[in-house]
Amino acid sequence: MNLALADIRSNVRRFIATSLGVGLLFTVVLAMAGIYGGLVDDATMLERSAMAPLWVVQRDSRGPFADQSRIDPSVVARVWAVPGVARARGLTFQVVQRRASDRELRFALVGLDWPEDDGRAFNVVAGRGLGQAKGELVVDASLGLAVGTALTLAGEEFRVVGQLHQLLGPGGEPVVLSTMKDAQLIFDYAAPDARSMERERRLERLRVTELASMAPSIEGLLADPAWSPPALPSAPINAVLVNPFDSVSFREIQAKLSGWEDVTVLTNQEQEQILLEGTVDKPKRQLALFSIILIVTSSILISALIYTTTLDKLHDIAMLKLLGASSARIAGMVLQQAWLMGVLGYALAITLGHFAFPHFPRRIVLNDTAFVGVGVLVLVVSTLASLVAVKFALRVDPARALEG
Amino acid sequence: MPALHAEGIYKSYESGQTFVQALTNVCLSVHAGTMVALLGPSGSGKSTLVKALGLVSPPDNGRIWIEDQLVVDGANVFGDLRHVRRKKLGFVFQRANLIPFLTAKQNVQIAGDIADTPNPGTRADELLRYLEVGHRAGSFPRELSGGEQQRVAVARALANSPALVLADEPTAALDGTRGRSVMELFRRVAREQNAAVLVVTHDHRTLDLFDELHEMEDGRLKPRGGDSH
Repeated sequence: MNLALADIRSNVRRFIATSLGVGLLFTVVLAMAGIYGGLVDDATMLERSAMAPLWVVQRDSRGPFADQSRIDPSVVARVWAVPGVARARGLTFQVVQRRASDRELRFALVGLDWPEDDGRAFNVVAGRGLGQAKGELVVDASLGLAVGTALTLAGEEFRVVGQLHQLLGPGGEPVVLSTMKDAQLIFDYAAPDARSMERERRLERLRVTELASMAPSIEGLLADPAWSPPALPSAPINAVLVNPFDSVSFREIQAKLSGWEDVTVLTNQEQEQILLEGTVDKPKRQLALFSIILIVTSSILISALIYTTTLDKLHDIAMLKLLGASSARIAGMVLQQAWLMGVLGYALAITLGHFAFPHFPRRIVLNDTAFVGVGVLVLVVSTLASLVAVKFALRVDPARALEG
Repeated sequence: MPALHAEGIYKSYESGQTFVQALTNVCLSVHAGTMVALLGPSGSGKSTLVKALGLVSPPDNGRIWIEDQLVVDGANVFGDLRHVRRKKLGFVFQRANLIPFLTAKQNVQIAGDIADTPNPGTRADELLRYLEVGHRAGSFPRELSGGEQQRVAVARALANSPALVLADEPTAALDGTRGRSVMELFRRVAREQNAAVLVVTHDHRTLDLFDELHEMEDGRLKPRGGDSH
C-alpha cells in the first residue's frame, strides 16, 4: 500500500494547487534554460550554417560577427591560389534596420560571393537560392516575407526568391541573404535628406579651401544632386570562408595562411568560442542567477508544503511507528510526496512550455540534455526540500500515538 | 510460558523539576487466551506501564518477556523493539486513532503490511467481517461512528496476529452499551484468537468480563481478586 498516494488522494485539491504553483516556477526555469540554449544556438547558427572550417579575417580582428573586420576582396583570389584550398568565398555581414514597403525590418544582412555562393547551403526551405547578381533576396521565414514578395530597399526594387528556416544572426536577428554588391548597396544607402546634408557639408569644406576659387566648376559639381563621388573598384569584405580539399587538413591550410601579414585565420571552433564569450557570457550569467533564485523559491515552496503536511500527520506518523513501520517507510512517504509534486510540476512545465515557448520573442532551444538536466534538478530540489520534513518525521516519538 | 511476563519493572521520569517514580517493582504475567484488567486512579502509573510493556518507552530496570523472548533486561534491550512491536503486539487506545487518509480496510491492512503478514488485504477483510464492520471496509474514519471506529481499531490491533493486545482505556470515549460491546469483543478476541489481552480501564461495569484484575496505586501493582499476583 502506498501511503504517499493515499494521503495525496485525501488532499488532492491542495496537492494539485501547489503542484500548479511549482509547475509555473519550473516553467520559468525551463524557459531560462531554453533562452540560454537559444542564445547559444543563435550566436553560432550562422557560423555553423556557413559550413566553412576556416575563416580568414582582418589581422588581429575577432571575426566578422564579433568585430569590425575589413579585408580587401582580392584576398579571396589569393586564398584560392593556396595549394589544398578547394573553395574560397567572400562574405559580408551587417545588422541593418530599414524601412521596406511600409514595414520596419531589422535583419542580419549577409552578402554572398555570388555566383560562387548562391545561399542554397543555408537550408533554403522554399523557393530557390540567389539566381542573379542583383535584386534578389533569400530571407528567414520569421521576417514574414513570402517567396515572390517585392519590396523596396535602399531605393532599389528587390524580390524575395527563397525562404530560410530559422537562420538567425548572432544577435538573434533574422538573416537576409543577398549578393555582396546588393548588401553593400543596402548598407551604404542614405536617405535623401542625409544625402542633401552630406552635400552641404562637402560644399562647406570646399569653400574654406583655395580649391573653390581656383576651380569654381568643382562647387557646381558638388552641388549637383545627381553627382556622387566615384566608388572604389571594389568595396572591402568582412571575411573569406575557406574549405580545403577532403584530403587536406584545415590545420595545414591554417598554418600556411597564418604567415600572411594582413589577415588572421580562425577555425570555426575559435569563431564559435569568440561568439560565445562575447555575446552569450553576460546573459548566461544573468540567466543562471535568475534560475538559481527560481530554484530556491521552488525548493522553499515544496519544502513548506511538505513540512506542513507532515506536521498535520504527526499523530498518524506516531501511529505508524507504534505499529512498527520502518524509518524507510516513513521517510519514503514524505519523499514520495515531494517527488510526485516535483514530477507533476515538471510535467506541467513541459506541457505549458510546449504551447507557450513558440510565442516567446526570443527563440527557446531545449535539447534532450536540457530536459534531462532540468528533470534531474527537479528531483534534487524535491529531495532537498523534503529533508527537513523527513528529519522531523523520523524524530516523532511513537509514544505520541498513546496520548490520544 | 505466558504471552507477557514482566518482573521488577521500575520507571521514573522528571516532570519539570519534580522527580516522579512512576513504576516500582511491578510484576505481571498475562497468559494467552485471557483478558486482564488494569485498574487504578489517574496518575497511578497505568499508562506508563502500558508504554513500558508495549516497548514504546522501555523501563529503567526490570525484565520483560514477550512469549518466550526476553526483550528487556535492566537497561539492556535485546533486538529491535520496533520489530517486536510489529510482530507480536497490538495496540488499542481510548480514541480509535485511525489514520484519516486511509479507509477502514486500509487502516487494518497497513498494520498487516508493516508486519509482513501474508495477504494483508484478505486478512483485513476477514478481521473487519469478524468484528462486524465488514460492510464499512471502504469508508474513511470520518464516515464511521465511534463504535465502528473502535472496532476497526481492534481489527488493526489483530492484523499481525499478536501474542499480546494492549488496550489503554478503549471504552472511555463510548457510552455504556457500546463500551460493554467493545469489552465483549476483547473477550472474544482473547478466547477465539488465543491472544493475551491487557486492558487499562476505569469502567467497573464491565469487570465481570475479565479473567484477572490488577490495581495500580502509586506505581505499584496490587492484586485484586481472581488469580492476580
